Amino acid sequence: MTARPNTPANTPPSAPPKEETSASRGASWLREHSELGVSLMLFVLGVLVLTDALTMDVDITQRGPVGPKTVPIVIGIGLLVLAVLLSLDVLRGGRGESETGEDIDLSEPSDWRTVLLLAGVFLGNAVLIGPLGFPISGALLFWGSAYALGSRHPSRDPLIAAGLSLFTYFIFNNLLGVPLPGGPLMGVI
Amino acid sequence: MDSLNSLMDGFGTALTPMNLLWAAIGVLLGTAIGVLPGIGPAMAVALLLPVTYGLEPTGAFIMFAGIYYGAMFGGSTTSILLNTPGESAAVVAAIEGNPMAKAGRGAQALAAAAGGHFIGGMIGTILLVVLAPTVASLAVDIGAPDYFAIMVLAFIAVTSVLGSSRIRGLSSLLIGLTIGLVGLDQMTGQQRLTFGTLELADGIDVVIVAVGLFAIGEALWVAAHLRRSSGEPVPVGRPWLGKDDVRRTWKPWLRGPLIGFPFGAIPAGGAEIPTFLSYVTEKRLSKHKKEFGKGAIEGVAGPESAASASAAGTLVSMLTLGLPTTAVAAVMLAAFQQYGIQPGPLLFERESELVWGLIASLFVGMVLLLALNLPLAPVWVKLLRIPRPYLYAGILFFAAVGAYAVGGEALDLVILLIIGLIGFGMRRYGLPVLPAVIGVILGPAAEQQMRRALQISDGSVTGLVNTPFSVTVYAVIALIVCWPLVRKLVPGRRKQDEETKVSV
Amino acid sequence: MRFRTPLALLGAALLVLVGPPLLSVGSGGDTGTQIPGLRFMVPNTPGGGYDITARTMAKNAEDAELNHNIEVFNLPGAGGTVGLARAVSEHGNGKLAVSMGLGVVGAVRTNNSHETLADTTPIARISEETDIVVVGKDSPYKTLDQLVTAWKKDPAKLPVGGGSSPGGPDHLAPMLMARAAGIAPKTVNYVPFDGGGELLASILGNKVAFGVSGLGEYRDQIEAGELRLLAVTGPERTPGMDAPTLREAGLDTDFTNWRGVVAPPGLSDAERDKLIAFFEELHASPQWKDSLKKNGWDDAFLTGEKFGDFLAAEDKRVESVLKELGL
Repeated sequence: MTARPNTPANTPPSAPPKEETSASRGASWLREHSELGVSLMLFVLGVLVLTDALTMDVDITQRGPVGPKTVPIVIGIGLLVLAVLLSLDVLRGGRGESETGEDIDLSEPSDWRTVLLLAGVFLGNAVLIGPLGFPISGALLFWGSAYALGSRHPSRDPLIAAGLSLFTYFIFNNLLGVPLPGGPLMGVI
Repeated sequence: MDSLNSLMDGFGTALTPMNLLWAAIGVLLGTAIGVLPGIGPAMAVALLLPVTYGLEPTGAFIMFAGIYYGAMFGGSTTSILLNTPGESAAVVAAIEGNPMAKAGRGAQALAAAAGGHFIGGMIGTILLVVLAPTVASLAVDIGAPDYFAIMVLAFIAVTSVLGSSRIRGLSSLLIGLTIGLVGLDQMTGQQRLTFGTLELADGIDVVIVAVGLFAIGEALWVAAHLRRSSGEPVPVGRPWLGKDDVRRTWKPWLRGPLIGFPFGAIPAGGAEIPTFLSYVTEKRLSKHKKEFGKGAIEGVAGPESAASASAAGTLVSMLTLGLPTTAVAAVMLAAFQQYGIQPGPLLFERESELVWGLIASLFVGMVLLLALNLPLAPVWVKLLRIPRPYLYAGILFFAAVGAYAVGGEALDLVILLIIGLIGFGMRRYGLPVLPAVIGVILGPAAEQQMRRALQISDGSVTGLVNTPFSVTVYAVIALIVCWPLVRKLVPGRRKQDEETKVSV
Repeated sequence: MRFRTPLALLGAALLVLVGPPLLSVGSGGDTGTQIPGLRFMVPNTPGGGYDITARTMAKNAEDAELNHNIEVFNLPGAGGTVGLARAVSEHGNGKLAVSMGLGVVGAVRTNNSHETLADTTPIARISEETDIVVVGKDSPYKTLDQLVTAWKKDPAKLPVGGGSSPGGPDHLAPMLMARAAGIAPKTVNYVPFDGGGELLASILGNKVAFGVSGLGEYRDQIEAGELRLLAVTGPERTPGMDAPTLREAGLDTDFTNWRGVVAPPGLSDAERDKLIAFFEELHASPQWKDSLKKNGWDDAFLTGEKFGDFLAAEDKRVESVLKELGL
């Protein structure tokens, strides 16, 4: 499930072009055709779906031609077929257009550091929300994300993060009755 | 005529100061809740159920109806401005609305959405008054084969939103269908793609998929390419719809209810399919096809109007048949039962004051909502003026809150991140995001209806085409599929063709 | 200036650490509270049966001044087994009560859940509701006998609709009926629907031969003559409903859908008795009696050990049916 379509492109794009060795040509070919990673992901996904469907033991009496396996098998085969078609398309020179937008500057190379930092901060939130409670993990999430995205206000950022997190906690927990974990001091004070 | 008189009495009930107050509280609460992530109208009404003990039923239901409609209004606000749909009916609003907002036309997008909700809700509610008995009896005749036929139609329609590359669009659709497979098989209880974890047994919530693909994917994608040089904020633009905008929106506003209302009324209908169908229809009919995907105002106006009208349709089957067709209706049904009132065939006779008061309050609520939302549109848009790091940090923050509030599971946050990374990759390699979301929503429903139809016919394939309705739908599908061929065979009449197309 | 950053950090840390407890002050510390900080867990989504039961109980307990500020929270997933697993993990927590019922018993089996109800502390059975066997008003079947005769002849051709997925109450009832009628449960053509809405449409439109569901959902349609009631599944007739029990109609079985409350394992006797006493007082309160009547629930109060024995017996019965089906 965690197969990431961007894996082949993870090589730092900032690497300066060296002299024309076969290795670097290979690398640049890979970079050119990094979309093959999408085909690979579709292929892996297809295999996963098919394995799951075929190893399912259905002991319940099946009625009619369509059981719990049928649709997964169709989808799995579809994924494999598309993986092949997409590879052919990429090798023939087809390219998916990267999405553009107001805040997006495609002329700059991808900034992997920021993306990884954001993903890490988000994952940290998922891990910490249980033990530390929502207000703390939420504040860390906001602060960390803002920092990763380039905000450098050492005194303003944490205060905004803490305020937003506590305010959200209050709205959900107290006003709406959606309980969120409060943190280590709950019940102590 | 009879229902008109009753409606007048209903206005008498709805316009008492107390009930007006409840309606106002309802729409305010609803709007606020709609704006909050992760809390859809269904959850909102459920959470407020205990409040009803202190209220007499008429006031309570007037408030609930206000929350229901208000949440629909509010739900599109975050979709448009932050790309974080709070519920599945608001997904479509994000597709065109968010690019509009980023291009400095956020206020127009919000106004188009509010107008759509108002007109859709008004037409829907009028249809509710006029058609309640007829629609209710029709709804009963629609069964599993008919639903499946409608969903096949929806899938065919989806191919027109696949984007510039068919292969990439289909890949996206299949990724969505795969995500939709996760969980217990509805018909037999078999686990599929759950890897033995109970937390995955109920499948992955559509809200998590939509927020992951849209909000997280977008935030990561932007992070990778953040335009650091330009410090200037997104222009807020003029606050109102210009003449040109109105010219482009009034037809979608009027068409929306035609699609939304019937879907709301039939069981298993809901608001998602009509919003997609409306979107596809508007794209087909628009003179500005190129703008679609980059912020076409028709793509906001039509679906939002359809969504509101479907809410009115939902009330038809709930009030007259006791049929809850959406989660909100199911919760409202539970609320009726709290009062010992059973919606159903006898409701209009037994509780006529309550029912007509409720219906009249829908009209009142809609006016309140429009009055509330149009002036607020420019205020909401100021959200976009927040410095970029804070804006995207806030999007990540609220996406996390929303996903966590749905089920209170930390695992949902991890799933959200994974789906966000998939969304990131899809943006990088030009896979459109919309087909994936459609796949998640439509796939499981279509599979279930197909298998239910086959089971009722005890395995005979004729069970899929044994109703006049389904046969009609398949005929329409055949027509759509063959239409390009026919057009090629009949040259020389192109101009007339286009005229009829516009006027449809 | 140099101190601003550390000060801000300190302020932020204080805010998120001390804020939440301060915001929740007052929930439970008051006088008159029997079990401070009591929480009800609902193992399915807002608006479902267990949810309404839990919220009604919480509200009634507050009105009857038995306890203040009972927090009700939802932890849905896998028919209630996700919530059950959480409850079992809260070993020794005497301030948590889980609203549950027959559906959870079935879900534990169909999901092969590691945690079972035997791992919990049984507190009380709260209410019950009979299931009903209904057909549309223009169905050819006028009595249960006619229906069962036709059913026996060709079970596959008579699809039966129910509002729960396999393993749930509406699924178990027709399976028990089939067994009593001498039909192998495996051959029963059971079609699951999401909740009552789509099912009702399918019964009214004669898409399924008959439907099995809770009485409360369809009481009005029966009174309006839209649905024909062939039998009630409970051991006794239901007042006001003109229909025989299954036994009277010749099927030797009965079935009621019940709801109850369990608590985490590892409670001391004192803690357990406190919880039981709480529900006993709730049961005796006029507010609760009123709620029972309003919702059309039948009183079926049973506490402690007796409820535990009942749970074990129900589990056995569910298991035997599901085993035959191969689930």
